[in-house]
Amino acid sequence: MISRFQIAYKNLLRKKSRTLLTLVGIMLSSWVLVSLLGFNRGYEQALNRDIDNMGYQLMVMAKGCPYEAATMMLQGGTGLRYIEQSMVDLIVSKPEVDKVTPILMQAFFDPDKGDGGGIAGYFGVEAASFPAMKPFFRFRQGAWFTDEQAAEAVMGFEAAELEQREVGDMILVPEKNVKLKVVGVLERTGGQDDGTIFVPLKTLQKISETDKITTIGIKVNKDADSVKLEATLYQLPDVQVVSFTQVKQTIMKLIATARVMVLSIAIIALLIAMVGVVNTILMSVLERMQEIGILKTMGAMPGDIFILVWTETLILCSSGGIMGIGLALVFARLSDILVRRVLPYSPGGELVAIDMKLAFLTLAIIVVVGLLSGIYPAWKAGRVRPLESIRSE
Amino acid sequence: MKGKDLILLLLAAVVAFMVMAAPTFAAVGCDLNDPDRDVARFFPESSGYKTTYVSIDKRGGEVMLRRVEKRLGDRFHGIYETIDVPYTLYEIHSGPRTIGYIHGVNQKGQFGGIQVFVALDPGGRIKSFYIQKMTSQWAKKLRDPKFGRQFAGLSLKDLDAYNPATGKGGGKVAEIRNPAPEAEEDFRASLRALKKNLILMDEFVFSSERGKP
Repeated sequence: MISRFQIAYKNLLRKKSRTLLTLVGIMLSSWVLVSLLGFNRGYEQALNRDIDNMGYQLMVMAKGCPYEAATMMLQGGTGLRYIEQSMVDLIVSKPEVDKVTPILMQAFFDPDKGDGGGIAGYFGVEAASFPAMKPFFRFRQGAWFTDEQAAEAVMGFEAAELEQREVGDMILVPEKNVKLKVVGVLERTGGQDDGTIFVPLKTLQKISETDKITTIGIKVNKDADSVKLEATLYQLPDVQVVSFTQVKQTIMKLIATARVMVLSIAIIALLIAMVGVVNTILMSVLERMQEIGILKTMGAMPGDIFILVWTETLILCSSGGIMGIGLALVFARLSDILVRRVLPYSPGGELVAIDMKLAFLTLAIIVVVGLLSGIYPAWKAGRVRPLESIRSE
Repeated sequence: MKGKDLILLLLAAVVAFMVMAAPTFAAVGCDLNDPDRDVARFFPESSGYKTTYVSIDKRGGEVMLRRVEKRLGDRFHGIYETIDVPYTLYEIHSGPRTIGYIHGVNQKGQFGGIQVFVALDPGGRIKSFYIQKMTSQWAKKLRDPKFGRQFAGLSLKDLDAYNPATGKGGGKVAEIRNPAPEAEEDFRASLRALKKNLILMDEFVFSSERGKP
């Protein structure tokens, strides 16, 4: 016996072009919706990951523009202001502090990097304190420096790949012409560390002819009040404190407007698609008035007709929804690239994160909204009077 | 097709899409820093260009890799010179005509990666030789246009006799003068990169035009 589902499916196939166009409309709106929901979630996840990958929650640096400081943290920029290394001892004595690590960021101009030259950035870190801040680091080759003053370097995955370096190879610090031996190459982290070259702090200080540092990374004790610590650190002379929570909040505020706008667009796209669904199903009902009347004379109840028409809506919305989600998954990388081009700051890793949970949520939204849109045509079909409809032309 | 089958097919398609959309990290390629500017510099008469990405892996796999290594006279070595390296190929047009190609390769140098680009005419002859990036105290001399001009007019045939593994060879390549004798390693690395570059261009472009490698 032919099922209700098969009847609904065959009904949709009667007007192939109309069904196809409605399907395309639903597909596009679900593509937009899932991509935007994926972006909403992915951006925050990526930003959190970038911030977690920093390893420390607070950074102390010389007083200056806080936005410059934030850029420096997130983009691995160059530090032009210095602080005394003795500041480390002052900070480590605070009870809220778990660990600290001094960092010296330095940039040297390499005239032979492209046509106009380029900047080669180096991070001076201590092998004794820095790795504890980055417990997720894994070595692809080698290990950390053998000595705190060694002429050695550890390279992030992408830095090593670009420079074609392996353990045992040499690198040359531009401007200074100092040779360093590569002793470690890190696995990819998906963050800013991938493009970084780490050098022992003392070695980089010697190369840069300074005994100062640019930054102190601070890991706060688990139960400590980081806000109170921040306030205490602000009492130190000529320093500014940057907390990653603040940075995250600022960035999230900056993109909040954009998020609201794109979600509104998604909702409008969804509504347009649903108007299409109502139109298609209603047209289909109006064209089949006589048929519906005959079904009723054969004993079909209003509820049966209602469910039959509603099944058509269900098939349309679920098929279009699945296809749209499929397209969104296929073109997730492309959406990622486009979003990166538009946004002023994008964290590393996936920006459009679509997983099974989100895919099913989107499908559920599409199906539920679709079924709501299908109520009126289904109700109208259910109310058809058999004799009137059979008599009608 | 029954409705149930249709739903199953759609679900299978979604699963397949998810597998396809999984993130992958390919090896690093070699792109021009500023293609619009560089194309106009090497081919002032150009009206446009098309960028394509090719790899030995996708074009011929292991068989092609062995053939390239044999023609090069050296093995692909290290963790970065691999079969899946994506090569960026710029096909230069003047109206409907293809007037040449630009192609670059990464090469391990003494202190860092070297990016060697060549601009070729449609016959595979070098119009320009350009080292985009090199880390060395002597990089300035090797990146000097005067050094690059020595390669103008050469083709893959002229490098056949050059062995990158030993750094020896006869013919026109033997006449190429190293402007920085202190950087012999980088000079030899540049010649190896050039030979590899031309072999890859032959494999990817010219051999298919001729019908065979």
